[in-house]
Amino acid sequence: MPVNRYKHVVSLLAFVAPAFIIYSLFLLIPTIGGMYYSFTDWNGLNRDYSFIGLGNFVEALREDPDFVNSLLFTLKYVLFMIVLQNVFALVLAVFIETKTRTKGFFRTIFFMPNMISTIISAFMWTFVFSQVLPQLAEKTAISVLDQLWIGDPKVSFYSIIIVSLWNGVGYMMIIYLAALQGVPQSLKEAAVIDGASPFQTFRKVTLPMITHAVTICFFLTLNGAFKVFEVVYGLTGGGPGRSTQVITMNIYEEAFSNNFRYGYASAKSVILFIIILLFTFIQIGVMKRKEVEA
Amino acid sequence: MRLRKSASLFITLFLTIGAVISFFPIYLAIINSLKTQGEMFASFTALPTKLHFENYAHAFEQINLLGSTINSVIVSVIGIGGIIFCAALAGYKLSRTSGRLSAAIFSLFIASMLVPFHSIMIPLTRMAKNLHVSGSTYGLALIYIGLGVNMAIFLYHGFVKSIPRELEEAARIDGCGEFQTFFRIIFPLLLPITVTIAILDFLWIWNDFLLPLLMLTDSTKYTLILSTNTLFGEYNKEWSLILAALVLTALPVIIIYGFFQKFIMQGIAEGAIKG
Repeated sequence: MPVNRYKHVVSLLAFVAPAFIIYSLFLLIPTIGGMYYSFTDWNGLNRDYSFIGLGNFVEALREDPDFVNSLLFTLKYVLFMIVLQNVFALVLAVFIETKTRTKGFFRTIFFMPNMISTIISAFMWTFVFSQVLPQLAEKTAISVLDQLWIGDPKVSFYSIIIVSLWNGVGYMMIIYLAALQGVPQSLKEAAVIDGASPFQTFRKVTLPMITHAVTICFFLTLNGAFKVFEVVYGLTGGGPGRSTQVITMNIYEEAFSNNFRYGYASAKSVILFIIILLFTFIQIGVMKRKEVEA
Repeated sequence: MRLRKSASLFITLFLTIGAVISFFPIYLAIINSLKTQGEMFASFTALPTKLHFENYAHAFEQINLLGSTINSVIVSVIGIGGIIFCAALAGYKLSRTSGRLSAAIFSLFIASMLVPFHSIMIPLTRMAKNLHVSGSTYGLALIYIGLGVNMAIFLYHGFVKSIPRELEEAARIDGCGEFQTFFRIIFPLLLPITVTIAILDFLWIWNDFLLPLLMLTDSTKYTLILSTNTLFGEYNKEWSLILAALVLTALPVIIIYGFFQKFIMQGIAEGAIKG
């Protein structure tokens, strides 16, 4: 039935066309374009540029210590975020779940920071770190508070983590809470009757039932953490020096504020893309296997 | 689950301390935005003795609050509306059509969800310039549609499976065309997932910083977030002014959050679990 088949395709395309056209213009073509530019020495302005093969990639990884440092800094950040964000979010979710009367209140409070734009959060915390905490340290003589929170590279890493957690934990907590609600009460009760402690019940009954949510939250954290930009931009601007520069900031600078080396910056962004893909596939692969086991 | 008293007490304590930390920066921003500079530096934690709203008046003007809020509303409304319109059509049809072409298009949409924004921002700025959409609020909204449809298509695609095909067949027998069937019968039934998508995209577009930063150059076109950002650079030490601006920027979302809490949380949970 060739006529019927033809009609079928036309109707499919008619429905898909609006989405596909706009998606092609602003996502698909730029993706392909970025990959193409990454093999060129284009500076964003000149009409003529040449194809230089893997030159940009070699330069980024071999001869650009700033880029490599930003990459390592980002990896460290990703690692901290994956562990801390998920631990905090899960603990909060489990704790909130036990409190039937105050559940709504705590859920509201912990999620609230997530509503505030990341860049605005970073500015709020800049105030806390640069003004409030030093004054508090002086008044209360609590020495831990007396830090160069955003001026000392060693400390500012943790400041960045604190703001990221403050902003992001609530989101993951909501996902964990939703998953916890899906665990049948009867299973937990059965475990308690069998003499399991609350911790054992959590470990042996609840956790295996919510591994799906764990996989998702790890995925979201991993993806988000590699793309971190606003928190660092608002808090330290990548400094002092380039000590807290993350990979996205390095790309941004390369393309828009320092050198306008579009081709080179594109190569760096392709490297970021490949790293994210690699980590995502490993993470999903490992965790899916765990899910089957449970 | 029954817990021992000491454990229950520990949990309450933990949650309370957490809640205090969670609210602390917002509280500090609010109380200090109502003080004079001098009063503030005397003590950041003390409550203001007299409420100084002039910081707000000053910030209101400096960030062109009215104008930039309108810009943010325009970008969000067109962006979300466009995403929903395009994605609902495509997601529905792709879900109902079997065959290689449909599967290939769907895979293309889904695969691109993994592309990080930073990997496309350079060619995207070029594309926007070439198409003459950079520098305008409407252009910005268009770009959000392009970047947001894939996720929305994914969510619609999954949701459509729960709608019985008999409804479409019935509509067809009654003489509805394909588009009519979609808009009259299917689209209303997609409402729950439409709400979820609208919420997720609103939070994304309203709070986004980098894309407006790259696209907008004329300060009268700035979104709310972008206006506040410029203030931070220019008035580096005027904390009372800056804090008033931060509160003004954060407040609308927090108020919206107050009203739509249930939907927002449900939206996030659904978006994550289906995604």
